[in-house]
Amino acid sequence: MGSSPRPAGGPDVLDEAASADVAAADVAAGVRDTLESVFDTVAETRTDTAALLAPLTAEGRQPTTADLAALRPGLHERLSRPGPVSGVGFVAAPGLLADAPVWLEWWQSGAGGEVRPLLLDLDPEHSAYSDYTHWEWFALARDTGQRAVAGPYVDYLCSDEYSLTLSAPVTVEGRFTGVAAADVYLPAFEAAVMPVLQRLPGPACLVNSRGRVAVSTDARHLAGSLLKGPDFGAVLAGNGEGASYEGLRLRPCGDIPLILVTAAAEQPAAR
Amino acid sequence: MERDQDGARRTVFTPIGTQARVDAVVRRLGDAIELGLLADGEQLPGEPELAAQLGVSTVTLREALMALRQRGLVTTRRGRGGGSFVTVPEGPVEERLLAHLGSWSTEELRDVGDHWTAVSGAAARLAAQRTEPDDLRQLHRSLEELADARDAAARSRVHGRFHVELAAAAQSARLTREEIGIHAEIGALLCLVLSEEKHLKDLCDRHRAVICAVQDGAQEQARARAEQCVEVSMGRLVELRLGAPGLAGGPPGPHTKEGTRGKQPPSRRRTGRP
Repeated sequence: MGSSPRPAGGPDVLDEAASADVAAADVAAGVRDTLESVFDTVAETRTDTAALLAPLTAEGRQPTTADLAALRPGLHERLSRPGPVSGVGFVAAPGLLADAPVWLEWWQSGAGGEVRPLLLDLDPEHSAYSDYTHWEWFALARDTGQRAVAGPYVDYLCSDEYSLTLSAPVTVEGRFTGVAAADVYLPAFEAAVMPVLQRLPGPACLVNSRGRVAVSTDARHLAGSLLKGPDFGAVLAGNGEGASYEGLRLRPCGDIPLILVTAAAEQPAAR
Repeated sequence: MERDQDGARRTVFTPIGTQARVDAVVRRLGDAIELGLLADGEQLPGEPELAAQLGVSTVTLREALMALRQRGLVTTRRGRGGGSFVTVPEGPVEERLLAHLGSWSTEELRDVGDHWTAVSGAAARLAAQRTEPDDLRQLHRSLEELADARDAAARSRVHGRFHVELAAAAQSARLTREEIGIHAEIGALLCLVLSEEKHLKDLCDRHRAVICAVQDGAQEQARARAEQCVEVSMGRLVELRLGAPGLAGGPPGPHTKEGTRGKQPPSRRRTGRP
């Protein structure tokens, strides 16, 4: 798919289309900035965790859950910042720790702003949810070695909320040790993105690489629904220019794997 | 280390709604113990904290703990190092679960079945509308685990997770929370159904058919099949309930049709054995 063809209308139409196009670029940039700031907190957790684990690895000592407690001041500080983040932490790869087969050093902010730990019972004898390695936020970061955006999805492991989870792999001496991650619940993401989305002249939505709608100003395609047809993965893998598909303009949001979908600029004079 | 909850387990300590509160607390904690969500010897939170977490008064909580002690599911030690501790009683699980089933009236079973049918049916329909292959992988995995699980408690946990995953595939946090709540409520009872190999196989086939309909995007078929999964499970529970009329706490005889109990206040279910 190539880039969107320019409308072949008169000067007025061109101006209108051009200004809509600029606004769409602004929206994509706004979405990118919102989530890049979340990725900044993920990167801090990743750096802290790697710095904590590296000397232990060098000593040949296997880390424990007590070692991970040193992450807490940083995690608490990140949670208390203004912004859309509701949960942060490090999720250990199975077998990393000496005293627990699996572990989430995970903290959440409550409705009243209080910071509390997520305490999961991950004993497979008691829990059907003890294996978390198939969740996209874990598997994508582990398998690609890159940062990942998972969702929107119903997070029935940690929060029971409709969420985006941003994650990044933590590697020490080339070995994958787990993921650093942050949760953004959809209401917070919508609140952050909706004002700029509503500046667009027409309905628009943000979808993930599989066409799942995250935020929308189009009442026919609300969050959670699927936009079918376009190859959204190809748009993200492309040159950053985006693409067109049957009257839709598909625009990536920088390096964030979300796509802004708007109607292609109207071309009344051309048809 | 303090232990806490997974999805199902988390609901153990969430506020109790409209049910008769003592009974609701007894059921919630009793089921959690039967299901293995609370382990043998595990200390429950202190009374004020537990009451606050469950959203009941400490008086209500104490009554519930007393009922649980009578059922042998909790022991309380006073003084330093004291508190309430989970005790998983000796004896065949099935017998205890049947006694537990006897504390449910058929009307209550019918009603929770209606609720669950509505939730799972709607979840399946929406999942068929909104699904993508990634959603189905979890459902397939749960189905395989369900077929392979050895004991009834493990089957019940995985069966519950299947329905939670179905609601998550529907992209609905509310339906997901409803499923988690429903399985916290009746997951232990479903052990009675899932322990029967014949029913397990039938239910596996039915759940597989739900996945197929979801995969095909056949919304109404997905809904109908998910509803049937629930109806078959709950139907079997009602059969078991009716087949055990002499069990503790059962309603008095067959005259439970409308009218005979209409003027009475809502029944105080007896959850303990007499």
